[in-house]
Amino acid sequence: MSTTSDIRKGVVIRQPNDLYVVVEFQHVSPGKGSGFTRTRIKSLGSGKVIEVTYKSGETVDIVEVNFQNMQYLYKTGDNFAFMNMKNYEQIEMNGDLVGDEGKYLKEGLEVIIGIYEERPVSIQIPKKVQYKVVTAPPAVRGDSAGGNVTKEIVLDNGLHVQAPIFIKEGDEVLVNTETGEYSARASQE
Amino acid sequence: MSTWLELKNNPRLKKIYETRLLITRLTREFFWSLGFSEAETPLAVGYPGQEPYLNPVPVVFEEPNKTKHNFYLHTSPEFSLKKLLAAGFSKVFEITKTFRNNEDLRGLHSPEFTMIEWYRAPGSLEGIMSDAENLFKSIARKLNQNFVEYNNKKISISREWEKKTMREIWQEYLQVNLDDYLEVEPLQELAVKLGLALGGEQKNKAKYEDLFFKIFLNKIEPHLGLEQPIFIYDYPSRFCSLSRLSRPDSRYAERFELYIGGLEIANAFGELTAADEQNRRLEKDKALRASLGKPTWPVDPDFIAALKSGIPEAGGIALGVDRMVLLFTGAKDINEVIFNSVYDQIN
Repeated sequence: MSTTSDIRKGVVIRQPNDLYVVVEFQHVSPGKGSGFTRTRIKSLGSGKVIEVTYKSGETVDIVEVNFQNMQYLYKTGDNFAFMNMKNYEQIEMNGDLVGDEGKYLKEGLEVIIGIYEERPVSIQIPKKVQYKVVTAPPAVRGDSAGGNVTKEIVLDNGLHVQAPIFIKEGDEVLVNTETGEYSARASQE
Repeated sequence: MSTWLELKNNPRLKKIYETRLLITRLTREFFWSLGFSEAETPLAVGYPGQEPYLNPVPVVFEEPNKTKHNFYLHTSPEFSLKKLLAAGFSKVFEITKTFRNNEDLRGLHSPEFTMIEWYRAPGSLEGIMSDAENLFKSIARKLNQNFVEYNNKKISISREWEKKTMREIWQEYLQVNLDDYLEVEPLQELAVKLGLALGGEQKNKAKYEDLFFKIFLNKIEPHLGLEQPIFIYDYPSRFCSLSRLSRPDSRYAERFELYIGGLEIANAFGELTAADEQNRRLEKDKALRASLGKPTWPVDPDFIAALKSGIPEAGGIALGVDRMVLLFTGAKDINEVIFNSVYDQIN
């Protein structure tokens, strides 16, 4: 039987009423006391997110999820299509389960998809993703003097982010997918 | 996340860091204006605290002749500051780095973090509560910001803060009288009823503290301080190895925690100043450390000697500075408020 030390982002936990995928987890020690594991878990049935806190070391009913490297292909209606990089099989994942991560997907991006009973249940995307800038308004003299040190740019997958004024169309930039913010020009890393 | 490159490129993170520097300045000014002495105490100590579940980071000093001395980075400046009380300081504070091993590197935790502790001797828990409330309100006024934001909720700082006993909040959220659940058997029954019994091996040897906090963390804590900050006080006495027992009811101890938006921000004690009783409790914690298979060291003899020499009745508190900054800036992760944190240096 699994314990709280097996809890990771993307694993699936069986609760009395439903299966839940772990969205976030954190160790907490109330008042310098012994450790607990606080989780935010999303129902695979309703998509509802709840918080559950376990005593660290407690047994948790974690169901076996098969994690596969996949490549994002395209969006089809409410679903996102991915290709398994081992066997080239294609799967579709519901937009509700993909959630906010969907906005970072771009054709060819490699992600990890958790599969449970042949059904995709979780997605993990890289912490930083590189995009090409397709629209960047030119910097205007005096912008930085007014304290206006960023501008909105549009990336090749349609994502809008705030970026420094020196960014031009055609630049490659890295976006932090944990915050949704511009991180750096790709060449700086 | 708060690296030089991010600060250079990301105006939001730069603003957070500037606000952090301002908040620590305002904090110092607040305590100086109340006549507190700002202390500086060692980060490396020979005899750290005995908290059974904290893990001090070992450091080794070596002399030119190769003699080695085993020290630890402190998990809190508590012993040192109480020694200053014994030396005759009546109001002291310190903003210091503290270190704890086996902690998460992100979210609300960092193994290296900043704490402010302050002590009043003579002093009471009520006095410390007022200090904490006035500190936040003074910072909020200077930042021109009447609220803080956490988990997409706005929490008023300027409104009057709430104060409730642990017994009152158990009544409020669980409709039970905590007096009836001060022993492990009834608490176990309550946990089962709430669907919160510990699973697996821990089921039949559940400790009181584990059951208590499993119920508290699942059913109560997420609701605390969502409209305005709240002090929860009078903890069951078995949790409190450094605090006085409550005078009207010795089943409870003089301790409070401050919650803002469901987040634990500070922990305070009506300080236990009786040397023998303190020594006995620290030895008990040390024995628990040993039984958990953790490294042990002697109870700091100099701390016990300081208590023996006499300290007035004191109140004291430890407040997480990084979490305070996180609340005021709306940062998403503790690593956004710490420059070049352990997490950032690893990743």
